[in-house]
Amino acid sequence: MSSLIPFIIKKLLQYIPMIFAVIIITFILVHMAPGDPTFILVGEVGDEEFIKTARARLGLDKPLHERFIIYLSNVLKGDLGYSYLRSEPVAKLIVDRIPATLLLVLTAMFFSALIGIMIGTIAAARKGVLDISLSTLSLFGISIPYFWLGQIILIVFAVRLGIFPLGGMVTVGRSYQGIDYVLDVIYHLVLPVMTLAIFNLAYTTKITRGSVLEALTQDYIVTARSKGLPESRVIFRHALRNALIPVVTYIGFNTGVLLVGAILTETVFAWPGMGSLLYDSIRLRDYPVILGIFIYGSIIIIIANLIVDLLYGLLDPRIRVR
Amino acid sequence: MKNEKIKKNFLLKSGYLQFPIKKIILTQMNSRIFAGLIIISIITIMAITAPFITWHPPLKTLVGKPFTIPNNHYLFGTDDLGRDIYSNVIYGIRTSLIVGLSSVSIAVIIGTLIGVLAGYYRGIIEDFLMRITDMTLILPQFLLALVIVAIFGQNFQNIILAIGVVSWPGIARMVRAEFLSIKERPFIEAAKAIGLSDMKIIFSEILPNAMPAVIPYIILQINAAILIEAGLGFLGIADPNVPSLGLMLNTAQQYLMNAWWMAVFPGLMLSIIVIGLNLLGDGLVEYLNPRLRKR
Repeated sequence: MSSLIPFIIKKLLQYIPMIFAVIIITFILVHMAPGDPTFILVGEVGDEEFIKTARARLGLDKPLHERFIIYLSNVLKGDLGYSYLRSEPVAKLIVDRIPATLLLVLTAMFFSALIGIMIGTIAAARKGVLDISLSTLSLFGISIPYFWLGQIILIVFAVRLGIFPLGGMVTVGRSYQGIDYVLDVIYHLVLPVMTLAIFNLAYTTKITRGSVLEALTQDYIVTARSKGLPESRVIFRHALRNALIPVVTYIGFNTGVLLVGAILTETVFAWPGMGSLLYDSIRLRDYPVILGIFIYGSIIIIIANLIVDLLYGLLDPRIRVR
Repeated sequence: MKNEKIKKNFLLKSGYLQFPIKKIILTQMNSRIFAGLIIISIITIMAITAPFITWHPPLKTLVGKPFTIPNNHYLFGTDDLGRDIYSNVIYGIRTSLIVGLSSVSIAVIIGTLIGVLAGYYRGIIEDFLMRITDMTLILPQFLLALVIVAIFGQNFQNIILAIGVVSWPGIARMVRAEFLSIKERPFIEAAKAIGLSDMKIIFSEILPNAMPAVIPYIILQINAAILIEAGLGFLGIADPNVPSLGLMLNTAQQYLMNAWWMAVFPGLMLSIIVIGLNLLGDGLVEYLNPRLRKR
């Protein structure tokens, strides 16, 4: 236990500067961009009065270093500016959308991990044709752009077969309560989760296969086999159990990829999360919101990585002392 | 002349002289590299000969009735503005390949420079550079590229630059790792002993030996760059004056209900490009890693 506290402090020291880095990158980009940074920080539209107060609030008439301090403290306070187009604070707009996106990401992550670990283990255990065909399939899974996959799934299941809704999170015009509401959300969740899970499934399968193969070369497998244990027990109890920690870690570190995947998938299915917000903001040129989504997205990914890193150290004491 | 030939023959047979490329292609090529090479060759030929294999200029509106179903003349149909989807797909390959190659070239230059500095000089420089590299690696590269293009302006050069600027960290790590291992080999010690300058050792001794291991990674990075461009296009961040597979999918999104062909063909072509590059890259990784090959 004694190694735990320094480990946590070390990890925090490693990840917290990254949040500053994100803010610094954003600040530099905004001020390097051609034209007046006001337009990017405030938005391209707005009446004279609004822009004037915004300029004063952001300190845009002050020198660069003072401006940076103002920007930094604003962002850290959670003040990302005001979306003139939607008459709402940027932070509120984004925070309202985060639960929907996380629901999508976590559900997809759960199903792809469950199925991917199973398929990956089978591929590693059965050499030969099954392994090759599963690996090839997972290569296709990795290669197909998921936003296109989403469009195809939408055309097949929603437009042609009509068994799933075309998009959104709840049926428009019905106000369901309690369990009906949950069922309605699940009904809308199926297709986007399917899209995102297929993409992540290929990745999980690949990682699991490699990790189980690695574990199968270890001495304790030889021991287990020489004890006369049935092969299925050797694979699932001995190899997979040891292979699982790195697999789960990789899945966790992949949150960033999955978050970006969700942003693109949401656009296909009109899922009301950060992705749809981003898509609309790009069309409307609502720059404060675009910048805000970059900052919030990065922070979510940094926190996810930090959690995975800490859990890894918690589960495997060998990591801590390194 | 004859002597030269005999000498070369002898060297080849004795295994002293090897042609790695020839060896890969003829003797030990695994099926993935082979399949990948074939797909990429066909795609590249299609991109180069685009003007000869299409009969409508891309981007030109109303070359046919809008929303024409695929037929003999409009192989992939037409879109909402009556543009020929087939021409746009073929020219879209061009765009994808240009974006992939040029943005990764930028990433290779930045990544190699940082990897070389960190791997060769070690110490504080290494700590600093690697910390920055790791940070950049965790950040969502797609969102960063998106922000850059959104605020600097949606034109073709900016898209290439933005993707290049976010793609270097992986390459930097690979180059550094190779440098660390090659630096310890005897021939580098020999080069130092005869008094070669750092520059010379880095660029003419270590780098040529480090590159083969990095090449598969570069190919996979080209892939990632093509997907980033397509993803940006899909969200509507693209140069409207350049045919783009991603942007076509963005347009298709509004008409999924009635015009399936607008989504199917651009996406199919994009998938084929990515599958080809993945096969090639994965195959090369496997080929260069004996531990994986044995199985």
